[in-house]
Amino acid sequence: MTAESAAAGTAGPELVLAIALGLLFAFGTFLVLRRDVVRVVWGVAVISQAANVYLITMGGISGGVPVLEKLGHEAAPHGPVSDPLPQALVLTAIVIGFATTAFALVLTYRVYQEHGTIDADELAAAGEVVR
Amino acid sequence: MTVDQLVVAPVLVALVTAVLCLVVRRSLRAQRAVSVLGAFAYAGVVAALADRVLSAGVLTYNLGGWPAPAAIVFVADALSAFMLSLAAVLTVPVLIYSVWYVDEFGEKLTFHPLFHFMLVGVSGAFLTGDIFNLFVWFEVMLMASYVLVVFYSGAQHTRAGLRYLVLNLVGSALMLLAIGGLYATTGTLNMADLAMRLGNPGEYGVALAPVLGLSMLLFAVFALKAGAVPFQWWVPATYRAAPAPVTAMLAGVVKKVGVYALIRLYFTVFAAAQLDALSLPWGDTALAYFGPVVLAMATLSIAFGGLAAVGQDRLEDLLAYSSIGQVGFIVLPLSVGAFVPSVRHLAIVAALVYALNHTLSKGLLFLVAGTIRDATGTTRFDDLGGVARTHPVVAGAFLVGGLGLVGIPPLSGFFGKLLVFQTAADSRSWIALAVALGGALLTIAYVSRAWNRGFWGDPSAAVDRSSVDTRQVAVLVALAAAVVVVGVGFQPVYEFAGHAADAAVDRANYIEAVLPDGGHLATSGGEH
Repeated sequence: MTAESAAAGTAGPELVLAIALGLLFAFGTFLVLRRDVVRVVWGVAVISQAANVYLITMGGISGGVPVLEKLGHEAAPHGPVSDPLPQALVLTAIVIGFATTAFALVLTYRVYQEHGTIDADELAAAGEVVR
Repeated sequence: MTVDQLVVAPVLVALVTAVLCLVVRRSLRAQRAVSVLGAFAYAGVVAALADRVLSAGVLTYNLGGWPAPAAIVFVADALSAFMLSLAAVLTVPVLIYSVWYVDEFGEKLTFHPLFHFMLVGVSGAFLTGDIFNLFVWFEVMLMASYVLVVFYSGAQHTRAGLRYLVLNLVGSALMLLAIGGLYATTGTLNMADLAMRLGNPGEYGVALAPVLGLSMLLFAVFALKAGAVPFQWWVPATYRAAPAPVTAMLAGVVKKVGVYALIRLYFTVFAAAQLDALSLPWGDTALAYFGPVVLAMATLSIAFGGLAAVGQDRLEDLLAYSSIGQVGFIVLPLSVGAFVPSVRHLAIVAALVYALNHTLSKGLLFLVAGTIRDATGTTRFDDLGGVARTHPVVAGAFLVGGLGLVGIPPLSGFFGKLLVFQTAADSRSWIALAVALGGALLTIAYVSRAWNRGFWGDPSAAVDRSSVDTRQVAVLVALAAAVVVVGVGFQPVYEFAGHAADAAVDRANYIEAVLPDGGHLATSGGEH
């Protein structure tokens, strides 16, 4: 209820972000479903970055401050401020995403070294033979 | 209630051990000593913490000294203590086993630090009272487990590791989405605060319908971690690729983090949401939605895991598929408890006891598979046979673990199965009872098949000329003894699980412990 009323005045940026989020998730999902493993890793990276953008958006970019409002403040003491918590969360998530993406790329290279291919179908076929 | 430094001790001990292992990495002997001593120290602090929790109630620790809803809070209640004990009980034998199992080069390289970093993540996940922090501990745990899965970095290991990695990265992104949505809807990340706000949605202006959807998104992530159908694809390849002690930890402990998160978030937190307009005929909380979904997943897990396990032609694959079925057994009573409030307490006790049994038995069985692979170079049933004649102690350990899974008294598995059946019977949910019975029959089928083909009969050529490492066998015997001891001395375990179930359903006490002043940061936290 409160988030909606805060956003009602300035729906512009949130609408743009909502559309951008939809496109990012669609693009990430498309990449994850490719056969090329490098693209799959790219797709995962796009999805996790989209999740970060989503976190910032849900934190309320137009001055809605869930942590202050819902604790009973009538208004923030110094006028509208952005909620700092989602930014801290996103910072953590970016660092984790950076590490996992780096690991995923190294692992992809290692998969290429071991198999001579990064085609997901050929990798799956290699699995059938070993079995 | 009581602020206590002991709450963070398990995480700290594991973290310090991991760092020390890196510091002394040049000397294999020193690294082994630090690592094993660290595991014992971990078990020690977990025992001390469990003892304190059982006598003093819920303990909390606000990181950085900030008041609760604003700070990340660590909460040790009986449920956390039970899960930590479960982790500690398996960690010590598995670590000692891996000293005799993992080759020296691998040990020197990364094994010990990674093992303890994984333990850091597991302990943090069991202790944290903040959902975003839960995500961070999941990542710590997973990051270490990714590297441990590709430890041998051969073709099949990298392939399995890649699959495990991509699935979990997508899972992590979904978890982040759910957490972001919950924060925007409720304005808090603290689990106790969340439970309180969901209990009084009017007062805090919380819309419950989005919370229901977001909770289901979280549920999918936890089910992925636990490896329940339909999120089970990563399990067999990953368990086959990882070194045997790591597989024992993945199946025994890491999977249980998903189960813990389900119990904690659903029974303690989301059950607080009274969905008036959205209520279903059999219940009006978020658990009413949780029940049928989990029942379906438990049924599919038990059926798929059991049937697939019967058809496997390698011991490790059989155990991996069996793990899928056993997770079904762990969550089956939870689904019944979600439907029928009167058996909720019993249901959680059943899930916890079954989880403990699965940790001990399956950990033991994976180590047996590792010993056999080490000795004979294979775990294919076609190349095995007659292990009982050449290596009777190893076969005996397998028998104890296998019968533990089946649930023969006086082993620990008997009480796990008994409580699952009792939950189903007390609530008169005949579907759950039928599923559990069918699953029990499948368990008997695949355990006896593994025994007949791998251990009974005349020794095959590979088994005949093999020799087992007696130090590995000593660990197997110790774990097998633990399976028997937990079964014979079941009363204290049952009481501990009972306290843990109390803690899981006693929401008011949990909120009171974490937020002693009702969570009104605005009034009390002003002077900080």
